[in-house]
Amino acid sequence: MKNSDFIDRLSLAEMGENRCGTVAQIEGDSRFISRIVSIGLTPGSAFTLLKNDGRSPVLVFCRDTVIAVNHKESSQIFVKVES
Amino acid sequence: MSEIKTIALLGQPNSGKSTLFNNLTGLHQRVGNWPGKTVEQAEGSFVFDGVTYRVVDLPGSYGLSANSEEEVVTRDYIQSGKADLVCILVDASQLERSLYMLADFVGIRMPVMLVLNMMDVAEAAGKKIDAVAIEKRLGVPVLGFSAAESARYPEFFKKMVSAIKTPVCLDSGSLREELVGGKSEGEDVVSRIEAALGDFEYGVCEKIWIAEKLLEKDKLICGIVNETLPFARKNAIDAILDSEEGRDGGILTGEAKYRWVSKIVRESATPKSIEKVFSKWDRIATHHVKGKFFAFGIMVVSLMACMILAFPGMGIGFGLQPILESAVERIGTSLGIWPVVISFVKLVLVGGTCITVCMTSFIFSIIFVFRILEEIGYMARFSYAFDSWLSRLGLQGKAIMPLFSGIGCTAGAVCGTRVLDTRGQRLLALVLLWAIPCGSKVAVVLFLASTFFGSAAPLFGVGYVALIFASFYLSSRLFGKKLVPQNERVGMIMELPPYHKPHWKMIAAMVGRSTWAIFKKALKMILMVAALFWALSYAGDGNVENTLLYKIGNAIEPVTMFFGMRWELFVSYLGGMFSKEASLGIMSTLFNHTGEAFSLVTRVAASENLGEALANTITKPEALAFLFASMFNVPCVLAMGTTYREAGSFKWLCTIMGYYVALSLGLGFIGYHIGLLFF
Repeated sequence: MKNSDFIDRLSLAEMGENRCGTVAQIEGDSRFISRIVSIGLTPGSAFTLLKNDGRSPVLVFCRDTVIAVNHKESSQIFVKVES
Repeated sequence: MSEIKTIALLGQPNSGKSTLFNNLTGLHQRVGNWPGKTVEQAEGSFVFDGVTYRVVDLPGSYGLSANSEEEVVTRDYIQSGKADLVCILVDASQLERSLYMLADFVGIRMPVMLVLNMMDVAEAAGKKIDAVAIEKRLGVPVLGFSAAESARYPEFFKKMVSAIKTPVCLDSGSLREELVGGKSEGEDVVSRIEAALGDFEYGVCEKIWIAEKLLEKDKLICGIVNETLPFARKNAIDAILDSEEGRDGGILTGEAKYRWVSKIVRESATPKSIEKVFSKWDRIATHHVKGKFFAFGIMVVSLMACMILAFPGMGIGFGLQPILESAVERIGTSLGIWPVVISFVKLVLVGGTCITVCMTSFIFSIIFVFRILEEIGYMARFSYAFDSWLSRLGLQGKAIMPLFSGIGCTAGAVCGTRVLDTRGQRLLALVLLWAIPCGSKVAVVLFLASTFFGSAAPLFGVGYVALIFASFYLSSRLFGKKLVPQNERVGMIMELPPYHKPHWKMIAAMVGRSTWAIFKKALKMILMVAALFWALSYAGDGNVENTLLYKIGNAIEPVTMFFGMRWELFVSYLGGMFSKEASLGIMSTLFNHTGEAFSLVTRVAASENLGEALANTITKPEALAFLFASMFNVPCVLAMGTTYREAGSFKWLCTIMGYYVALSLGLGFIGYHIGLLFF
């Protein structure tokens, strides 16, 4: 079963602030994948969501770095949230 | 002949590459274009121990994929094998992420040296990094460094010399383990692709690197493999890439590279605490409303700081000009020197130099303030705050800063476009920037509007702002597509660098060097233009009608009247390309019959009764034409100079100039003919 079959998939765009999680899956063309991977987000990477106000770029802390991802693009990144 | 060695600097944006480049090469650098590309090529040199080192500053890119022109240029250069040493810079304060560049380099057989830059920032954040342990693990020279501290440079030279003497390449064995994962030998995708590649060779790149790029669907590599491999082997590769594993190839290699990086980092560095990376300060700076207000506040303060910093230079230029001019006049006359020589010295040499001092002082202050904002890490916050607005024009958010400072001085703001990441972005920002009026242009436009249209002048102010925004739209439609291709316009994905303490000494030295270089070039250019104008406008008896300018002006008047400008106005319009003050000064001479000689370097803003004299001579439609033409006239001679420097090409300077001449004359034409209907 692929990750995409999960019914309750949660994207970075929908995640609440100040929560920790790991990246589960990234969708998009090879260009987007290459860009997002080179900035440090890959499946399995643990991160903390610093900021998500629903419109501005989402801010996550991952691999020693504060990374800003445009809100639209952040909905292509699916996550597992730590409870 | 002395030996020449070539060092290529490779690193992500914000890795401190340009600081290292500037400090290594000082004044010995030149900026041009990579042949056939809109990407900047910066090259410089320095001499150490009798050996000349050529330094190539490769465009900043996040990795070695061929997604943008910058990355293609970077990769082409590395693969050309021209460098004796590739110096990979990473940001030690964001070690794990920025080492991705190194991981992406594994499999390229080129001698490397790894520089862990910004060690001071990492240490301040409570992070400990063991460069020696990393060196042992990687087997290539590794240096803990801080490019902004001059005391650390001897270590750099030492490491660099030994790295060139005994060149070492990165070993791909450990990355292969990560790529293979738990699979048995030969079963994993990478090994299968390598097997299918057979005897395929590609310069300094190992097959493992080719396999990675194929998995990442890198367009260039896929193309080359497609062209060169025989059909059967090509099909075999396609089949692997189409398999379930192959389809997510980019993720697979990315994960492997970061696993490889993690193993290095986790053994040799301690992580930093999260509290330190996202402060209360940043919560405000990134708020969608407060952040913008905050950024506007910073911009206003920065602009004020620029004004204050520019003040001494302006004062010297302004203050000295009349003193020197009258001194030349007095000494010249008492020595009985020909008036033509006195006039030349006064109007070209003295005036030109003083005006250059005035103009360069603002450039100095803008470069200085921008450098500080960038150094402390605030520039990236501008991007965050304004990306949504400026991306509509095809620009990054941080373009707001040079655009905004255009209100102060176009020529200086042009130098500020250096903060943008790609040359396309920079050129687009330059085009937009020329439409933003500096203080002097606003003064000219308001003077004309109030002279001719009295109480309706504020309407012109509003109309002007509307026209500027309309011109933004036009420019981004005309130039945007070519300069910032649609497929390169991904939504913002970037890192926010931690705040740094600025290194004042280093900043002052860098800014001083750039300003001096600009001053020298500007002086040459301004003197040349002033001399040309002087030759055209000199008359032995001081009678305007005996000048070449008068004759030429009259001859072309039938053409310029098409745009609603009689020859006096057209000459003033041309003078406006030199400086806005020149435009007013020429009008004073021509309309006010003050008896003063023509001069481009006059500092008299507008003689007292110029307004009256203009209103008596010029008709309202003509005034409209001149007013509109002045709004979008070429900013000034120094702006042309700095634009040439930043664009790195004469062709682009001419394109931008041609565009604004066409735009301003076009608007003048429209204004004139509409005016004829009403007045």
